[in-house]
Amino acid sequence: MSEQVESLIRKEYAAGFHSAIESDTLAPGLDEDTVRFISAQKQEPEWMLDWRLKAFRAWRDMAEPTWAHVHYPEIDFKSISYYSAPKSMKDRPKSLDEVDPELIATYEKLGIPLHEQAALAGVAMDVVFDSVSVVTTFREKLREVGVIFCPISDAIREYPELVKKYMGSVVPQKDNFYAALNSAVFSDGSFVYIPKGVRCPMELSTYFRINELNTGQFERTLIIADEGSHVSYLEGCTAPMRDENQLHAAVVELVALDDAQIKYSTVQNWYPGDKDGKGGIYNFVTKRGVAHKNARISWTQVETGSAVTWKYPSCILKGDNSVGEFYSVALTNNFQQADTGTKMIHLGKNTRSTIVAKGISAGRSNSAYRGLVRINPTAEGARNYTQCDSLLIGDRCGAHTFPYIETKNASAVIEHEATTSKVSDDQLFLCQQRGLDAEKAVSMIVNGFCREVFKELPMEFAVEAGKLLEVSLEGSVG
Amino acid sequence: MLEIHELVAKVEGKQILNGLNLTIKPGEVHAIMGPNGAGKSTLGNVLTGRAGYEVVSGDVTFNGKNLFELEVEERAREGVFLAFQYPVEIPGVSNMEFLKASVDARRKHLGLPELSSFDFMKLARESSQKVSLDPAFLKRGVNEGFSGGEKKRNEIMQMMLLEPGLCILDETDSGLDIDALQVVAAGVNAMRDNHRSFIVVTHYQRLLDYIVPDYVHVLANGKIVRSGDKELAKELEAKGYSWLEKESV
Amino acid sequence: MSAPTSNSRQSIPAPQSPFQKHALALAAMQNITGTAAGSLLNLRQQGSHEFERATWPGRKVEHWKYTSVQSLISYENASWAGPATLSREFLQQQLIPLQATRLIFVDGVFDPTMSDMMPEGVSLFSQADVEAADIIDNYLGKVAGSVDASRRNLFASLNSAWTQDGLLIHVAHNVILEKPVYLVYVNSPQQSAVTNVRTLLVMEQSANLQLVEHFLSADSSVASHNFVNAMTEIQLGQNAQLHHTRLNLEQESVSHIGAVHINLMRDSAYNGFTVSEGSKLKRLDYQMNHCGQGASLILDGVYLARHDQQVDYHTCIEHRVPHCTSQQVFRGIVGDKAKAVFNGRIHIFEDAQKTLAEMSNRNLLTSNTAEINTKPELEIYADDVKCAHGATISQLDETALYYLMSRGISPAQAHTLLSFGFINELLASQPLEAVNTWLETWLRNRFSEDRSLISDIKPAVGTGGSH
Repeated sequence: MSEQVESLIRKEYAAGFHSAIESDTLAPGLDEDTVRFISAQKQEPEWMLDWRLKAFRAWRDMAEPTWAHVHYPEIDFKSISYYSAPKSMKDRPKSLDEVDPELIATYEKLGIPLHEQAALAGVAMDVVFDSVSVVTTFREKLREVGVIFCPISDAIREYPELVKKYMGSVVPQKDNFYAALNSAVFSDGSFVYIPKGVRCPMELSTYFRINELNTGQFERTLIIADEGSHVSYLEGCTAPMRDENQLHAAVVELVALDDAQIKYSTVQNWYPGDKDGKGGIYNFVTKRGVAHKNARISWTQVETGSAVTWKYPSCILKGDNSVGEFYSVALTNNFQQADTGTKMIHLGKNTRSTIVAKGISAGRSNSAYRGLVRINPTAEGARNYTQCDSLLIGDRCGAHTFPYIETKNASAVIEHEATTSKVSDDQLFLCQQRGLDAEKAVSMIVNGFCREVFKELPMEFAVEAGKLLEVSLEGSVG
Repeated sequence: MLEIHELVAKVEGKQILNGLNLTIKPGEVHAIMGPNGAGKSTLGNVLTGRAGYEVVSGDVTFNGKNLFELEVEERAREGVFLAFQYPVEIPGVSNMEFLKASVDARRKHLGLPELSSFDFMKLARESSQKVSLDPAFLKRGVNEGFSGGEKKRNEIMQMMLLEPGLCILDETDSGLDIDALQVVAAGVNAMRDNHRSFIVVTHYQRLLDYIVPDYVHVLANGKIVRSGDKELAKELEAKGYSWLEKESV
Repeated sequence: MSAPTSNSRQSIPAPQSPFQKHALALAAMQNITGTAAGSLLNLRQQGSHEFERATWPGRKVEHWKYTSVQSLISYENASWAGPATLSREFLQQQLIPLQATRLIFVDGVFDPTMSDMMPEGVSLFSQADVEAADIIDNYLGKVAGSVDASRRNLFASLNSAWTQDGLLIHVAHNVILEKPVYLVYVNSPQQSAVTNVRTLLVMEQSANLQLVEHFLSADSSVASHNFVNAMTEIQLGQNAQLHHTRLNLEQESVSHIGAVHINLMRDSAYNGFTVSEGSKLKRLDYQMNHCGQGASLILDGVYLARHDQQVDYHTCIEHRVPHCTSQQVFRGIVGDKAKAVFNGRIHIFEDAQKTLAEMSNRNLLTSNTAEINTKPELEIYADDVKCAHGATISQLDETALYYLMSRGISPAQAHTLLSFGFINELLASQPLEAVNTWLETWLRNRFSEDRSLISDIKPAVGTGGSH
C-alpha cells in the first residue's frame, strides 16, 4: 500500500473488556455426562436430553471439515468448558431489578441498555451472556399480539410442541460436524414464533456475549414465522480480548411458512485476535432457512470479527415463488480468515434468489466467498443473480471466490459475476487532493463498496455497521 | 501568491524538473506549454504532493506557506486545486457524497460552518448546470462510467464548488471536442477574478483562444525556456517546440 | 468442497482400485527402445510411482466432484489397442483439408504410410537423435511436473507411466514454421482397448507455430470403445508464439481423458482453441503456468453434449509472475440427458502484480434432464490486479428471437440460427480458415441432424433476480 497512508493509527477492539462477574463454569471436558449436565441445568424434559444424546453420539463419529480455505491449529474439544452461567442467574431474575448490576453495567458499556425504558425504541432484545439468556425485554408487550420471544431454554419447557416440531427440521442433528456438536451441547439462544398473519410490531434482537475464559458458546436460535407473518430479527455479538482462541458454534434455523417473511440481520464482531493473530474467536456457524410457498427469507450479515469464520447462511426455497436473499460484507484484517457465503437450493417453481457478497481483505488476512446455487429439476423458472466483489487493501492479503453453480432445469436463468479491485493510490490521491484525509478517503471508498449490502440492514444497524468497518480497518492501510 | 524557486524533482528515479522558477500573482492566468515529456504534468503533481513525485531541491511557497511541509489534503484545504488529466473513477462512492465531504473539509479549514445537505444539494445542482452536466450525474459513482468529456466537466464543477485560490488545469483540453472545450473554458472564465490564479497546462494552443492567459511559458527539459504573452502560444503552434528544445540543452 | 486445504488431518492411504492395478500391469507389458530410452524409463517410473499411490477419485475428491470415473471399470481387463489400418478414402472424407504437415496416429501408433514427412525438429521419441533425446530429457514430464504435487491429476501420472513412445516437436530459435502441423489421432473400432498419446512441444525463443490436434473415430458405423489418455506438454520459450487448436470429436462410445500443460516464458503468447463433443467419459484439463513476465494467454472453448454424454473441462491458470494476461471464454450447449462441467480456476500469486485475468462461461441448457455444473474460481494474493469472471446459464435472447421472427423466420429456424450463432461466434474468431470452414460445417450438421442441441425453452415469465 502507498506510503501516504502508512501512518494511520490503530484502535483497540472496543468491546474487548472482561467483566468481573462470578460464574458457575463447568470444568472442561466433553462426554455424555457433559450433555446430561447441561440438560439438567436447563431442567429440560427427557425428550430434549434424548435428542441431545443422539446428536452427541453422531458427532463422535464425525470428522471436522477441512475443505474451507482457512488454517488453524487443531481444536481440542475436551479442553473447552461447555457451560458457564453468571452466579446470580441461579435463581433467574424475575425482573431487571434483580439482575446483577455488574451485568447491566457490562451491557451499558457495550452500548446496549437493558432497561426497557432506555432500550432502543422499537427493538425487543434477548441478551445471552456465555451460556444463558439473562434478560428478554418487551416480552409481555409482544405476547399481547401473540408473538413469542424468549430464551430457547424457556421455550423447550413452555412450548414443547413447537420446539419438537421445528427444532432440527431445517438443520438436522447430523447436518455437519459443528451443527452436531451444537445440537448436543447448545446452551441458550432465542426462540421466536410469529403467529399467522401477524406483522411483528418491533425489531427482535439477540445480543450474544462470551465473557468466561476457555468457554465455548453454542447458542441455538429457532425462528418460526407462521403463514403470512413478518419479522425482522437482529443479532449482535462481542467477546473480551484474550490470547487464547475461543470456540463459537451456533445453529440458527428459520422456518418461513406460506407467505411469511423473515429478515435476519447479523453484525458479527467477535474478538478477531490481536494484530499478530493471537487469540480471537473461532466462529463455526450453521444458519439455514426453509421458505415455503411465496415466502421470503433474507439474510444480511456484516462480518468484521472472529479469528476464523466458517459460515454459510442458506435458503432452501421449497415452496413455489419463494425468495431467498443473501447480502454480505465480510471484512478481514491482520491475520483474520473468513470462508463465508451461502447456499441457495431451488426446489419450488419460480423461486428466486439474489446473492450480493462483498469481501474486503486487509493486512495479512484471507477472505473467501464460497457459494452454491443449485437448481433442481423441479424448479421450473428459477432465477438467480449473484454478484461477488472483492476489495483488497494492501498486497499481503488474499481474496478468493469459489462459486458452485449446479443446474438441472433448462428454464432457469443464472447469472454470476465476480470482480476484484483495490483501493488504489490514484483514488486516494484524488480524495486527498480534494481535501479529505486518507482515513476518511478509505472509509468512504469502503462504505461505497458495501453500499448495496448496508442498505438492506435496519437503519440503526446500518450506521453501526459503517462505523464498525471504519474501526476494523484502522491500521490496515499501512 | 505562488513562488516556485529552483525546483528539482524526480519521478521513479528520473529527474524531470531541473530547476524551475515561476512566480504567480493573484488573479493571473499562466499557461504552460511544451512537448510531451517536458515535465508539464509533473509540475501539477509535485505542487499537489502526489506520491511518487520526489522533490530533490528548491522550494515553493503558496500564500507565504511552504507547500512541501503540507500533506496532500492540507494543500488542498489551503486552496490548491488540480484538475486531473485522467480523472479517477471511484465506484460506489457517489459524486454528491464525495463533493460534500470535500467542500465540508475546505469550509471547516476556513472556519466556515458546514453547509446543510439541502443547501449543498442546491449549490451542487447549480454548479452541474454551469458545466452542462445533468444533475443525475451527482448521484452516480465518482467518474464511474463517465465519458472523457463528462469527467473533465466534473473536474471543473468540483473546482467551482471548492473555490480554490490556485487552480491547476492539467491538460484539461486534451481529447475534448469543441463544445466541451467551450463549456470548460466558460467555467474557468467565470471563476477568474482579482484573487484567483490559474496554471493552465496544455499541449494545444487552441484552448488559449478560449482561456486567454496573461503569460505563456514554454517548458522543455524540466525548466522554463521561454516566457511571453499569448502571441508566444501562436508562434509555438506554428513552429513547434523543437527550436526551443535545442536552445535549452 | 474446496481445493487447497492444509488442514490435512485425514491422510488415509487410498486402497488401489482394480483399474489402477490393471493399468500398472499394462505398463509392464511395454518395451522401451531408442536413444531417449533412459529419460522415458525415468518418466515411466515416476508416473507409476505416483499413480500407484493416488487416491482413486470419487465424489468427495474436489476435482472429480461432478464426473464419475466409475465407467473405467469396463477397462479392468482391457489390452493395448492392436494395430489397425486406415483407408485413403477415410482421410479424404473425415480430415480437415488443411495445407499442413499431416501426421497420423492410429490407436496411438504412428502410421508412416499415411503421414507426411516429418519436418526438421519433429520426431518420435523412439527415433530421437542425440539432440532430440537431450530436449526430451530436459522437458518431458517437466512442464506437467511444475504443478504443485497436491493438485496433480492422477491421469497425468498414468500417462507418464504408459509412455512407450510419443511425438516431439521442437521449433528452434527464430524459426517460423510456415506450414501448420496437423496431428490426427484416430480410434479404430475396438472393444475395450486402451491407448496412450504423449506429445511434447518445445518452442525456443521467438519461434512461431500453428498446431492442430484432432481426435476422431475411424468408422462412424462401428463403435469404438477405446479409452484414450492423451497428454500434450508445451514449453513456450521467450517471445515464442503458438496457435493451438485441439478438437475432441470422437464417437460417444470412446472414453477420453486429456490434458494440455503449458509453461509460458517471458513475452510468449499462447492462443488456444478447444472444441469437444461429449462422450461416455470425457475429461479435459488445461494447466497453464505464467512463468515469465509479459506473457499473454487466450483460451477459447466450445463444448456440446447430448444423449447421455458427458464432458468435463477443468482449466487452471497460474499467474506466478507480474504483467501477464489471461482471457478465457467457454461456451457450451447441453441437451437430452447429458451433463457438462466447467471448472475454471485463476490463481494469482503474491508477486503477480499488474495481472489481467478474465474468464467467462456461458451455457445453454436445452432439456430438463440435462445438467450443467460450473465453478469459476478466483484465488488472489496480489492487490494490483484486474480480475473478473462471469458465468451464466440461460436461454436464447428473446429480443433476438423476436427480431428474427418479425422478419418472417419461423420460430424453429430462429432457434436454430441463434443456437448455432451462440457457438459459431467463437469459431469465427480462429485464424486457420480451413479449420473454421470445416468446423462450421460440422456444427451445421450437428444442428441439422437432431434438435437436441437447439434451445427452444422459453424463460419463465418474470424478470431475472429477485429485485
